[in-house]
Amino acid sequence: MNELLEKISDCIEFGKINLASPYPPQMKGLEGADELTAKALQEGTPPQDVLTKGLMPGMEKVGRKFRENKVFVPQVLMSAKAMSTALLHLKPHFLSGAAKQKGTFIIGTVLGDLHDIGKNLVAMMVEGSGYKVIDLGTDVSAETFIEALEENPGAVVGLSALLTTTMVNMQKITNEIKAAMPETLIAIGGAPVSEEFCEKIGADNYSADPQGVVEFLNQKFL
Amino acid sequence: MSDKGMQLLEKAFRLEGVNRVPWVPFVGVHGARLVGVDAKTYLTSSAHIVEGIGKAIELYNPDGIPVVFDLQIEAEILGCKLVWNDDNPPAVVSHPLAEGATLDQLSIPEETDGRIPIVLEATRRLRETYPDIALYGLITGPFTLALHLLGTEVFMKLFEDPEYVHDLMAFCSKVGDKHAQLLIDAGCDVIAVVDPMTSQIDPESFKTFVSSPVTQIFETIRKNKKYSSFFVCGHAQQNIEVMCDCLPDNISIDENIPLDYVKDIALQKGISFGGNLKLTSVLLLGDELDARKEALGCLDLAGKEGFILAPGCDLPMDTPVENLQAVSTLVHDEYIQEATRNMEHSSSLQPLSLDGHWHADKVVIDVITLDSGSCAPCQYMMEAVNKAAAGFGDKVVISEHKIKDINGIRMMMALGVKNVPTICINGKASFISQIPPRSELEASIMKDIQALNG
Repeated sequence: MNELLEKISDCIEFGKINLASPYPPQMKGLEGADELTAKALQEGTPPQDVLTKGLMPGMEKVGRKFRENKVFVPQVLMSAKAMSTALLHLKPHFLSGAAKQKGTFIIGTVLGDLHDIGKNLVAMMVEGSGYKVIDLGTDVSAETFIEALEENPGAVVGLSALLTTTMVNMQKITNEIKAAMPETLIAIGGAPVSEEFCEKIGADNYSADPQGVVEFLNQKFL
Repeated sequence: MSDKGMQLLEKAFRLEGVNRVPWVPFVGVHGARLVGVDAKTYLTSSAHIVEGIGKAIELYNPDGIPVVFDLQIEAEILGCKLVWNDDNPPAVVSHPLAEGATLDQLSIPEETDGRIPIVLEATRRLRETYPDIALYGLITGPFTLALHLLGTEVFMKLFEDPEYVHDLMAFCSKVGDKHAQLLIDAGCDVIAVVDPMTSQIDPESFKTFVSSPVTQIFETIRKNKKYSSFFVCGHAQQNIEVMCDCLPDNISIDENIPLDYVKDIALQKGISFGGNLKLTSVLLLGDELDARKEALGCLDLAGKEGFILAPGCDLPMDTPVENLQAVSTLVHDEYIQEATRNMEHSSSLQPLSLDGHWHADKVVIDVITLDSGSCAPCQYMMEAVNKAAAGFGDKVVISEHKIKDINGIRMMMALGVKNVPTICINGKASFISQIPPRSELEASIMKDIQALNG
């Protein structure tokens, strides 16, 4: 593997954003995902390779460490932030078709629920894992999800709820989306939600943590 | 008389032997349901809170209870916008430090700010009415408050601007310290530092940013000679040890962490522990039997040393009263615990066939007991049945079904009985748990004999 891509992968894995970033301490003073991605593209590395051989392996490694409880949300968010910075360099290539994002994820907190922390964490990690994320915010109705799906055919939907009372809306929204677009995959999460509930309402995935959503998407899109 | 209330809780906090595990239902907005108002009306009125908690005390016979369960009180005063919901505590929808406000513009809340006076007034009144029940005063843990104030940016700032996070956490700790002092002065016995967002960080980050601010609050509580509890929810298993190192008197967790895991660490560190009744799948959505089994599971796993039985977190508003009463009666009654324990193993059993069980010319009385030889209520119930039936001679057939035996359990299932002891007359559960007066029992038997002759 190209040495530069390996370095990019390390930057993502350890959350090294750019030269100025003090984190992680062992990489202080070194170039980060920002500079190295720009350099790789300048040197003529195909954008698709930067994505699949540099950025994604780094994100996969940090994802694995998260699952093994070796790192936690803050570290993964630093990796996601490094990833987002690198993706800015790739954006023109996505638009031109020279590189492809893995897929699209539409996320929102369900109608009646205004909690955004969990939803934001999931959005950041999914985006950092190479997906296009459409964040519809909080208090989102079934119609809004369906409109977003019409604009982004084949996207996976993520529903978040923190309240036991809005779990009910999660069920309604799932039903309405499935009625309008039966092929749509729906992932759910949030404090009161469980695997049992997921099965009961006919959603396709329940994840206890953001990394679970990424893994679900990876299974579906790869 | 055996210990109860604060006296019992103190023993648990000190890891002294108890004859019964203390029970602390975390009644928050559920109190609003008990008095028939919405969450906002409830959480903005000391009168409603006093009434709601009073009802909860009457219904659930607790040893301790929170006055208010709302982690938005400090955030609201510090400029976070809240959106109210009819059946939940309000939600924080804006993070002032992420929207232009600076830390030096924020000041420590006073006793006259926001909804603090409502909580203090409710505390004083409940203290007066219930001198023996432990009142829990809840404060927002510093890390959760920091998240309210700054939003998810906090996570990245841990690495990118650690000095800022230290300053922010020091401020949040002072807020907690002050709030704790106000609650103690108003009459709270236990201060719970509720910091659910710490479940998202690793032990190193916890030690670097959370340990010192939280330890400071526990120190204040100790100086006041009151007890403290550290509440966390979510997947916080990695932090239990560092939480204990902050020296609270108690750690309380939810269903995401195995109770025995917390037990081992907490007891090793000389700290009591509590939890972790399943909130939604059992207490909210299950039935009484589910609730009893769940509570028994907790009791059996935790043992009696230093354990406080509690839900994993704030009870959902619509938690059925019967489910919480089922937990309460189980906690207070070892016989029910024993009966539930026996039923635990009966799930794969089939009900006994009732073919040939009934008589055309006799009344059949089935008494489902744990064992009248060892269970006092069962014994009295059997005696009552035997005495009442004596006058009817061979018109009455009496059988005791002990659920210590598999066939007893199968008979219990066949008759659809859920409580022990229960008297069934001709297959109908006529007297449940309570031993009826002789006259009433005789009248019931007589009615069925007349129906036979009918």
